[in-house]
Formats: sequence, structure tokens, C-alpha cells
Amino acid sequence: MTGFAASVAPAVRSRLTVPAARHLAARTLFWGGMYLSALVIFGAFTALRGADPFAMYHAMWQSTVLNAYGRGQVLDKAAPFILCGLAVAIPARAGLVNIGGEGQIVIGVTAAGGVALALGTHVTGTPALILMGLGAMAAGALWAAIATVLRLVGNVNEAIATLLLNYVGADVLNYLVYGPWRDPAGNGQPAAKPLPEGDSLPKLGSYAHIGIVAALVAAVVVAFALKRTSWGFMLRCVGGNQTAARRAGLKVAWLMMSAMLVGGALAGLAGMIQFTGLEGQLRPGIAATFGYTGFLASWLARHQPGKVVLAAGLLAGIAVAGDSLQITSHLPGSTVNILMALILLAMLATRSRSKAAA
Amino acid sequence: MTGIASMAAPVAERSEPVTPLLDASKLTIAFGPVVANDEVSLTVYPSEIQCVLGENGAGKSTLMKILYGVYRPDSGSISVDGQPVVIDSPLVARKLGLGMVFQDFRLVPALTVYENVALAAPGSGPLLRRREILGRLAEVSKSLGLDVDPQAPVRTLPIAQRQQVEIAKVLVAGARILILDEPTSVLAPQEADGLFEQMDQLRKAGMSVLIITHKLREARKVADRLTVLRGGKSVVEGVLPETMNDSELIEAMVGRSLAPLPAERETMPKERNVLELRRLKVPGQAGLAGLRGLDLTVAEGEVVGIAGVAGSGQRELVDALAGARPWTADSFAVGSAELRRSDPVIALRSGVSCVPEDPVAEWVIPGLTIVEHIVLARMREGNGTAGRRRLGIDWKHHRSKTGELDAAANLEMAAMDRQVATLSGGNIQRVVLTHVLAGESTLYVLAYPTRGLDVASCRRVHELVLACRAKGAGVVIVSEDLDELLLLSDRIAVLHDGHLAGICDAGTDAQEIGRLMLGAAA
Repeated sequence: MTGFAASVAPAVRSRLTVPAARHLAARTLFWGGMYLSALVIFGAFTALRGADPFAMYHAMWQSTVLNAYGRGQVLDKAAPFILCGLAVAIPARAGLVNIGGEGQIVIGVTAAGGVALALGTHVTGTPALILMGLGAMAAGALWAAIATVLRLVGNVNEAIATLLLNYVGADVLNYLVYGPWRDPAGNGQPAAKPLPEGDSLPKLGSYAHIGIVAALVAAVVVAFALKRTSWGFMLRCVGGNQTAARRAGLKVAWLMMSAMLVGGALAGLAGMIQFTGLEGQLRPGIAATFGYTGFLASWLARHQPGKVVLAAGLLAGIAVAGDSLQITSHLPGSTVNILMALILLAMLATRSRSKAAA
Repeated sequence: MTGIASMAAPVAERSEPVTPLLDASKLTIAFGPVVANDEVSLTVYPSEIQCVLGENGAGKSTLMKILYGVYRPDSGSISVDGQPVVIDSPLVARKLGLGMVFQDFRLVPALTVYENVALAAPGSGPLLRRREILGRLAEVSKSLGLDVDPQAPVRTLPIAQRQQVEIAKVLVAGARILILDEPTSVLAPQEADGLFEQMDQLRKAGMSVLIITHKLREARKVADRLTVLRGGKSVVEGVLPETMNDSELIEAMVGRSLAPLPAERETMPKERNVLELRRLKVPGQAGLAGLRGLDLTVAEGEVVGIAGVAGSGQRELVDALAGARPWTADSFAVGSAELRRSDPVIALRSGVSCVPEDPVAEWVIPGLTIVEHIVLARMREGNGTAGRRRLGIDWKHHRSKTGELDAAANLEMAAMDRQVATLSGGNIQRVVLTHVLAGESTLYVLAYPTRGLDVASCRRVHELVLACRAKGAGVVIVSEDLDELLLLSDRIAVLHDGHLAGICDAGTDAQEIGRLMLGAAA
């Protein structure tokens, strides 16, 4: 038996590349197959509703990638998605689940709007933008801090606390725009006074604003901080085993708090970008679902900042493509959520497979 | 039952030849270039307890996995009841009457005891024969003296009871030869004694037991015959324990003789105490006593052993010294510093380094490599800037430091880029010990330092402890192994129910210490 094994061993060794290549081919086929079937299923669904799937996909592609206006829209959407994704990814390193990006971005919008109202026309331009940014980050951080204090002092699960604070955040905004901050000149609409013209976020080219630059810089800084600094290392230790981290002398509570504060601040910044870049006026429902999309992006990316950027970009593209559906195929814009769900399922399926192969 | 028991006599005393229950001959198996078993032979007779001794990596587990049908040998033969057999799956092994109790039990925690037993019962078919299985479980439990509710979910049971359930499961499934892989590694000494009594019961009932272990004393206690593996070969095959003395057995296991630790040790002039505790109180958890006012001093160059039955306050003492559990005390001084409160940073900075009682829960961080653990462990040393580079960590510094520690400790630590959480318990222990014992400290606190280590590594750890002592550091060592404490300690403090029951000199009789452990007045 040993002799036989020895005699076939060299032959096996020289052919080792063949199974490897076959394995790669099989994986590629599987990947392609999963994503293709997502597109096919969605296409079949739209065909059932009387649309032409090929024209529809063409229009989606056209409106997000081939067309400068569409590209700008995708970048404008991606910016807050990336920041809200990072707001989840950083606490996740310390073992915390921040579902509160939604509330933190809304509070960020509210704070930016509040700063704008307070400044009025006294301070304008870049100084105003900086003050709004700082206000929004502070507010987002504060919102995250509330849940963290509850966790550290009362051992309240931070996932639930942040989730519940989302509703509170939305109601704070609602109260202000229906109440004290309502613009008297607004024909009774629940909205605050618009941002002065000159206080909008500067443009990047003709269609996008510079929010995407801020988001990418944030992603690079976060990636560096998590991977290369001792802070990032300590967060990993806390996330891996709190008891061991504490016994090694790490300030576990402070580290958790710092991760949540930075995360909340980034979500708050996303709110300021959305407000000054696109909305320009506080209204109910502003930036709604952005926090949840960021949460999704972070989990898809397994909380890796680089991958968060990719996932957020993809989600932004799908969201923008949804608008073109409405125009070209006369389907409700929310139909695109079906495509998003199918693509997410394909992503999860291919991911668990590559993990099993590893 | 009595009939069988009276028939059962140690194999050696029988005059007529007995057919072996299991006869494995010249088993060889190689994994790539590594020959894990090289012509290993093993014979098990009816009604005997045989111990297979060997260091980590000697090939014991591989041999058991061949017998249990997990691996197929490259060559060699196995016969059961004199009939040659091919065991190509665990199912076949079980049908032949071989039952395996793995070190990490194969129980489903969410299921009840009965359900776990039923899962393994043979030929159940589509329907569970509930009454029959329950009946046999009750029978087996009674003969083992096992007191477990069949309806209790396994996850609610302590580890010792889970092991009992595992044994019952294997017996209900019809095992005639019980194979136990390092069964006492999860047990307290009293629990281990209970297990050995059960094994004796099984032997009297005509069954055979094969125990894999690296603990010499245990093997001496229970074995009818001993087999020793070393480097994949059987160097001793089925001898009677009394034909070899301890140092011969150790030499067979380790491959060289280990010189005894020097009995005469230079006594340091004990001018200064490195640890002074006055009325240390630590609240206990889970209904345990904790510590209720402990006075203890450790001088420089002194090893103080802590003895006591499990739960007498050892854990609370170790945790308080590590700053990991709140305490109150009239005085708590380490070196020249009086500590005011419990804080790991304060403990570390005043020079306490600690081998925790449960490294996996208290030291290991999943996903982190050995170097990263060393970085974490040294993060709060000195002024907290050692090994930092601006915002980041000076990895080069820490890699070379880790290499130095490894070389100094010489404990065969795994490669420094291995993830600690993926290592076996003994190898995790080597990492912790390398970090602690090769580092510089004022006071070393060692909880069960040699747990999971083989004979040669234990010896190396003992040498390192004595080296720390010779440097003038103080050592507090907690151990369940009285022999180890007597071997290393200058004084032994015996804890009972959160109090100091007495302090004994090194030469004290083990019986006297045992008396104090059980609460007799000093």
C-alpha cells in the first residue's frame, strides 16, 4: 500500500494545478450563476408586470453609469451610505452593535439645520459649513453616547438602545419642524427656513457635491486607525474577549465609548452632508433609511472599511437605478428593493461558499 | 455480577492463555512525511485497565483514532476476539464493542441526557425505543453510581457530569472496551478518584478500559498494565506497573532521564516582603465563600504554595492579586507600593504578572496571534509607552521581544503568528507561561501552571519557577497537585473555606496538609 502510494505520488503532484484550475472555474461559474440568476429572477418579475426587462436593465445601467448626471447622483447617495456604514463598522470592532446610524444621521441633520438657523446670515460660506459639520458630529456622537452610557452603567443591550433611539431622533426632528423651527413663510408646510444659497456644500464637477470626498477620506482614516493604531488594536482586543482585555489593563468602558462616539460622529457628519449637499431645508423624513442602508453595507462588508465603500457604492447605485425604473418602465420605484434583496442574497450565498472553501 | 467480579483477576495471575479482546499489531500510519504511528502494537485483555502513556505528540490520539475507525492504518492488523477485522468507520468500531470518550465530549448541549444517549444507541430505526433505552440508561447509571436526571438538558450539567453522561452513552451503545482520551484533564482530583473507582467497577463487570494519559501518577493508581508511546513508536508494550520505577517510565516517555530538581536550594536572605496581605477580603461568586480575611506574606526569593480543595478561595486570591476582582484589605502591599484598590493596571505596574486560572476565558482573544497577545499583555507595562510607535505599535520590537521570551522560556511555544485560540489547551498554556515566566516581575502569581502539560514541559516550568525565585522575585503558586507544591514551595499556605487553615514548611507531611485542607484546626 505504501509502495503504491509512493509510485502514484509524483503523478498526483504534477497534476495538482488541474484540480486547482477546475476549482477556480467552478467558483467563478457559481459566482456568475448566483448574480445572473438574481438578474434573471428580477427580469422575469418585471416582465410579468408588463415591462421589457432588457430595456429596463439598459435604462438602469444608462442612468447610473453611462450618464454623468446619474453618476453624480450615485456619488451623492454613496457618501452618506459610506459614513453610516463606518458608523457601524467601528463599534463592531469593539464587539458593539450600533443599529443607531439611522437616529444618529437624523440628529446630525437636525443639528446642522439648527446651526444654520442660528447662524442665519451672520456667518456664511466655509466657516458656516465647518460649524454645521462640527455641530452635526457632536450631536451624532451624543446620540450614540446615550446608548453607550446605558450599556456601560445599566447593562442595557446597545443594539436595542440604539434602535429605539432612532425613533426618538426622528421625533425630535418632527417636533422641531412642526413646532419651533417651522418657517412662517413656508405656506404651512412642516419645514424650516431654507439654507441660504451660499451655504450649500461645494460641487464636485457639475453634478456631484464633495460629500463623497469627505466619505472616502473618512474611510481611509478609519481603515488606518483600525488597522495601524494601537487604538484599533485595543478595540479588537475588547471585541474579541472583554475579560481578557480588562485583565490586560485596557480601559474597556472608555474604548467602547470612544468607538461609539466616533461612529456616531461619522453618522452625524453624513446628516450634515445630506442637509447641505442636497436637501437645504429641514423637513420630516429627511435622510430616512440611510442609517439602515449603512448598517447593511457594514455587515455585507464584514466591517472592513474598504469593503464598506464598495458595498455602499453598490447599494447607492441600485437605489438610483430605482428612480429610472419609474420613468422608463412605469414600475413603482420601490420595485428596485426586490432587485436589491436578490443581489444581497446572491452576495450572502457566494460569501458563505467562499468561506467554506477557505 | 458477583460471579464475574470474582472471576476477574489481574491478567498476569492467570495461568491459561486468554484470548485478547483487542489485538492491534504493527500499526503504521503516516500523514505526509510525518509517521504518526510506526509499527505500534497494543493488546487489551478482558477485564483489565490499561494505560497508554506518552508525551504530547507521541501518537496516542492517532492510535486511538485508528482503533476507533477514524483513520485507516497504512499497514498493520487488528483483531477483536481473535478474529481479524477491518475497522473502517466509527460505526464498525462501535459494532465491535469499542466505545470512545473524546476529550472534547461529543454531546449535543441543547438535548437532554436521554436524547443524547438515544442518538448513539444502536439500531434505533425510525422510532426511538424510549422505554428500552431509558431502562438501559438506568441500569448503567446504577452500576456506575451515576446520579443524573435523564431529562436534564446536557448544557445545564457541570463538566464532570457531562463526562459521566458520555461514558453512560458509550456503555448503553454496547461498548465492551471503553477508550478514554485524557479523561482527567477536565476533572478535579476528587472527581478523578471517582472516575477511577467507576473504571474499577467496569473491570469487575468484565469490561476493559483503555486510558490515554500523560500523568504518571494516575497511570500508577489504576492501570493493570502500561504501554508507553514515544515519537510514534511503542517503546513499552503492556508491562506490569510494578516492573518499572518512575524514573524508568519517565525515561521511556521522554527519551532521556530527567535529573531531579535540586533539593538543596540557596536560601535567599529574606529581608524584604514582595507581598503583604492583611485581612484581605474578597467576595466569592456563585455561593462560594470567597476570602474572608487572609493574612499572607511572600518574601523576595520565596515560593509560597497555595493548597486547598477546589473553591476554598484560590480563585479569589489569584484574581485579587491580578487586580481583576474587587477586594478590601487592611493592607495590600506589592514590593514597596501599597495598593489602594483593585485595578489590573495598578497590579501590572507594581510588578505582578499572572497565569490566570482559566486562560481561554481570561487571557485568550479569538483571532489574535501569539505576538498580538504579547503586545496586549505588555501594553500597560512600565509607563505604557514601551513598544509604541507614534500612534501605532512597534511590531518589530514586539516580534523580537516575543522571540527572546520564547528562547528564554524554552517551552516549545507554537510559531508566533499562530492564532492562540486555535491551539490546544496545553499549547495555550505554553504561550501564557512563556509570557509570564520569561518576563521580569516582582511577584509571579501562577494558577495551576502545569495544567495540560506533559512531563518534560512540567519539569521545564518547575525549573523556570525556581529561576524566578533565584532572581529574588516572589512566587505564589496555586495547584491541585500537592506533590508539585511540596516540590517547589518554601512554605505552603492551606486555604479552607476562605480562611487560612495553616502555613506549613516545605517538609510537611502530605497527610497533615490534607487534614488542614479538610478544615482540621492547625
